[in-house]
Amino acid sequence: MGDSVEWEEMASSRVEFRGVSKTYRNGGQPVAVLHEVSLGAAPGTVTAILGRSGSGKTTLLNLAGAMDFPTAGEVLIAGRATSALSARELTALRRTRIGFVFQFFQLLPTLTALENVELPLQLAHTPKSRETALDRLGWVGLEDKAGSFPYQLSGGQMQRVAIARALAHSPELVIADEPTGNLDDASGAQVLALLRASADRFGATVLVATHSAEAAAIADVRVRLRDGRIVERA
Amino acid sequence: MTLLYRLILRPLWRDRLRTALTILSVALGIAVIVAIDLASDAATGSFQSSMETLTGKTDFQILANGGVDERWIGRLDGLPVDAHFAPVMETEATIAGIGSVPLYGLDFLGDERLLVSRALVRRLAAGAVTATVAGRRHTFTKRGTLDAPGEFLAIDIAAAQHLLERYGKLDRIDVTVSPGEDAARVEQAIRATLPPSYLIEKPGARNQENQRMLRAFRWNLRVLSYISLIVGAFLIYNTISVSVLRRRGEIGVLRALGAGRGAVLWLFLAEALMLGIAGGLIGLAAGRLLAAGAVRLIAGTVNALYTTSRPAPVALTWSEAWLGLVTAAAVALASAFGPARGAMEVAPAEAMSRGAHEHHARLHWPRALAFSAVLAAVALAVSRAAPIGGYPIGGYAAALLAVGVTALAAPAAVVAANRLTRSAVHMRLEGLLAARSLAGSLGRTSVIVAALATAIAMMASVATMVASFRETVALWLDVQLRADLYVRPAGPQTAGEYPPLAPQVPAILESTPGVAAVDVFRASEFHYRGERATLGAGNIEIVRRYGRLRFLPGEDRDAILRSLPGRDRAIVSEPFANKFGVRAGDVLTVPIGDRNVALRVAGIYYEYSSSQGYVIVDQSTLLKYLPNQPATNAAVYLAGGANADGVEHAIQLRLTGLGASVAPNRELRRNALAIFDRTFAITWALEAVAIIVAMLGAANALLALVLDRRREFGLLRYLGASAAQVRAMILVEAALLGSLAALLGLALGGALSLLLIFVVNKQSFGWTIQFHPPGGLLAAALLLVWCTTVLAALYPARVATRLNPIEVIREE
Ligand SMILES: Nc1ncnc2c1ncn2[C@@H]1O[C@H](COP(=O)(O)OP(=O)(O)O)[C@@H](O)[C@H]1O
Ligand SMILES: [Mg+2]
Repeated sequence: MGDSVEWEEMASSRVEFRGVSKTYRNGGQPVAVLHEVSLGAAPGTVTAILGRSGSGKTTLLNLAGAMDFPTAGEVLIAGRATSALSARELTALRRTRIGFVFQFFQLLPTLTALENVELPLQLAHTPKSRETALDRLGWVGLEDKAGSFPYQLSGGQMQRVAIARALAHSPELVIADEPTGNLDDASGAQVLALLRASADRFGATVLVATHSAEAAAIADVRVRLRDGRIVERA
Repeated sequence: MTLLYRLILRPLWRDRLRTALTILSVALGIAVIVAIDLASDAATGSFQSSMETLTGKTDFQILANGGVDERWIGRLDGLPVDAHFAPVMETEATIAGIGSVPLYGLDFLGDERLLVSRALVRRLAAGAVTATVAGRRHTFTKRGTLDAPGEFLAIDIAAAQHLLERYGKLDRIDVTVSPGEDAARVEQAIRATLPPSYLIEKPGARNQENQRMLRAFRWNLRVLSYISLIVGAFLIYNTISVSVLRRRGEIGVLRALGAGRGAVLWLFLAEALMLGIAGGLIGLAAGRLLAAGAVRLIAGTVNALYTTSRPAPVALTWSEAWLGLVTAAAVALASAFGPARGAMEVAPAEAMSRGAHEHHARLHWPRALAFSAVLAAVALAVSRAAPIGGYPIGGYAAALLAVGVTALAAPAAVVAANRLTRSAVHMRLEGLLAARSLAGSLGRTSVIVAALATAIAMMASVATMVASFRETVALWLDVQLRADLYVRPAGPQTAGEYPPLAPQVPAILESTPGVAAVDVFRASEFHYRGERATLGAGNIEIVRRYGRLRFLPGEDRDAILRSLPGRDRAIVSEPFANKFGVRAGDVLTVPIGDRNVALRVAGIYYEYSSSQGYVIVDQSTLLKYLPNQPATNAAVYLAGGANADGVEHAIQLRLTGLGASVAPNRELRRNALAIFDRTFAITWALEAVAIIVAMLGAANALLALVLDRRREFGLLRYLGASAAQVRAMILVEAALLGSLAALLGLALGGALSLLLIFVVNKQSFGWTIQFHPPGGLLAAALLLVWCTTVLAALYPARVATRLNPIEVIREE
């Protein structure tokens, strides 16, 4: 498949926003969601995107994950502008380099925990997918739930399965959109620790959208959005 | 009302393609029912003779098997009653460019010219009329126009007798009682005068007789037309299930806000009702249009199997329209009741996830399977029931139960398929996901599998029934048609009409060199216990020596045939025996001429050309009671070593100008099969509609599955699935669905075809059909259905790959 795309080796998983604007067309009426956002996220760091609901966090993450493309400016992943990639290259990028974690877990209800984790590996035709998936379930401490279906798990467990899935193919870029939004404090803390660990242990570039203080606390860099503009960096 | 709008109407509009597919499938179902009903009415409803309206009010009709002797007119006229007695002949005339119209012989006092009804005169050229009657062309001068409805011709009675060479015979006498006279007294006087074998009937009795004769035919056609509606019912069930499933959350909130259980039930029943009524309305309009095409097909069948059919214009009455709508609404409500009740059970503010809900459905399959087994046992028992009032109620009930058996077994089949695929270790991911999602939404996939399976089963069973029947007839023809040449009057053939051969024909045939034997057959329609059958007489000794009639098992052909000549003994066809419960050794009282003749049944033979039934006697027996009965056809056996083509040619030359048509054995066989195929054309048309409805259903259901799981497809894209992978997943799912449906459909189809052949057909028409499933045809049809199911998934697959992952993930 298109897995042999050439990437800039050194700056492997660096994400860079250069003067990015995003405008949606809402029934003819253009709605500007992001204004001239510039930002860089380095491997081995956690960047927290803060802001109220509607401030543009999800949009920013979708741009960072090459699921969406800027109206103006450019988003670079490993040195390449996402808008310039073909559909095949984009699919390959998601298969090999990016892992997503969602607020509502987004596990497939008809698959077991293990099968859910195995899914991205199988989509990418990775050999030994089952062993790898079991290993990732071990990281998040859920080996014993491998055969359980999502509806048999608690919210925190489901989100941990989702993180195992996001990390299944050892991505260099982990994107988490309000991963603790639907969890109690204890489960949230576990999930945050896992995200932190993926930056520390595997050198992943981690982007987390959140409005919780706890989430902000684990980040190396905090960026606050308001009405689509960066109003604060720390 | 706002609730209805927000929760039902708006979503229906949002999914308008699916809504349209559902409405369309109901519409097709209703259209077929309406079309068949209207067309059957038009094709069979107009047996009312035009004569009845022409001669004004007729109080009685006098009929006799073999014809009414003309002499009785004088005797009746002499009776001291105030009534008018009108002699009538009735036959068919074929006019080039117009077709077959009735020709009546009436008492005009010696005028040889032709009267033409006003409707027909408009279509005729000016000047003389050339028409073919009993195989011969005649040219008539017009005398005037008759002001009566319908298209027909009339000539003087003597001219009609001359045309038909039936001197001294009448088809019937119409009796009109004068005002002030007592009808009962007149009837009594007639009865006392005429021989006891003569029939005195109220007008309309023949129409009733016709309707009775066609009862089984119409009933079976109607039942067949309901097939598509059953498939449509599955689709409504599916639509409402989806609707309820999608709105479980909303229903929970509604209940928490104080909506009663009844309100929720009605909400979803209202949705079904809207779909049903919309489908019903469209179906009525479409059915009215389809009926015009179906009339010709049905009229063809009636003509070939029963009696002359002269289609009336198709008319959609208010009561029929109303019935169609009510049927649509009732089917919609009935099929929605289950899912709507499910909605009612949703607890207030229930937060049960879809996964959990489907998990419950998954746990129910063993119970459904057990239920299915119980139903199967009931179906088996019911299929053995005797017919009720002549209708194979048990057979149809068993068929319906069998559909239920399949529907209940469908979840288990889906689960089994999932298990099987799970054990296939090296499965591709697309296959795994497809199998899993089929089992995952078990409640719904099993409905669509059942719907498709039902349609496939209907197709397979009717195809098997028709093919078996055709094979049986073909084999029977091989045995039956033993003569080398067949001679009959030229012109179109209609069941129940036996125009005479010119009287010199038999002698000409016998004297032709190369001819070994001629079996002259004299057939006439006769009335027996309020129904019609054919009374035939032939040279039984020739039949015995050359023919190959097959009798029911255990009967000795040779002995039976030897016992017939010179005695009041008869053989009867299988349908006749079944219809009237006759066995070998029974005595039939058959009115022939002016005698009631007691015929002992010597044997029962297989016969597939008419479900009306035959009573066959030796010619000596018939001529004893009806000395002047004309020959109606002849079978010619050639001497060994004679040149068949040469003899045929010689006969044709010698018969020139006598209006006879000569056909060799193979041509007759070909014609018989052609008639058979035409007869079942309507059946195939109905099949096709059922399959189309099923295809619509497959597309509909797959689209629903895709729309419902759009979040999953969006997610898969986030996880690195390519568009091709998503498409493959949906196509594999469709292929699995199609395969499951084909398997179940074939099993159900086998059961249904046995029911059709050995219960329904046997009880309705009385013939024994051998089981000959058309393997190649079935395989081809199954493959076609399977391919179409996969093709039907192309559009949903396109929808799935075009979804914007961001948007579908954002929806929450
Ligand atoms: N596809 C879209 N079309 C139009 N407007 C959108 C679309 N997606 C997001 N928006 C709008 O952009 C704004 C930012 O949305 P989002 O990025 O989801 O914010 P957040 O994740 O911070 O809540 C919101 O006002 C939202 O309504
Ligand atoms: Mg958001």
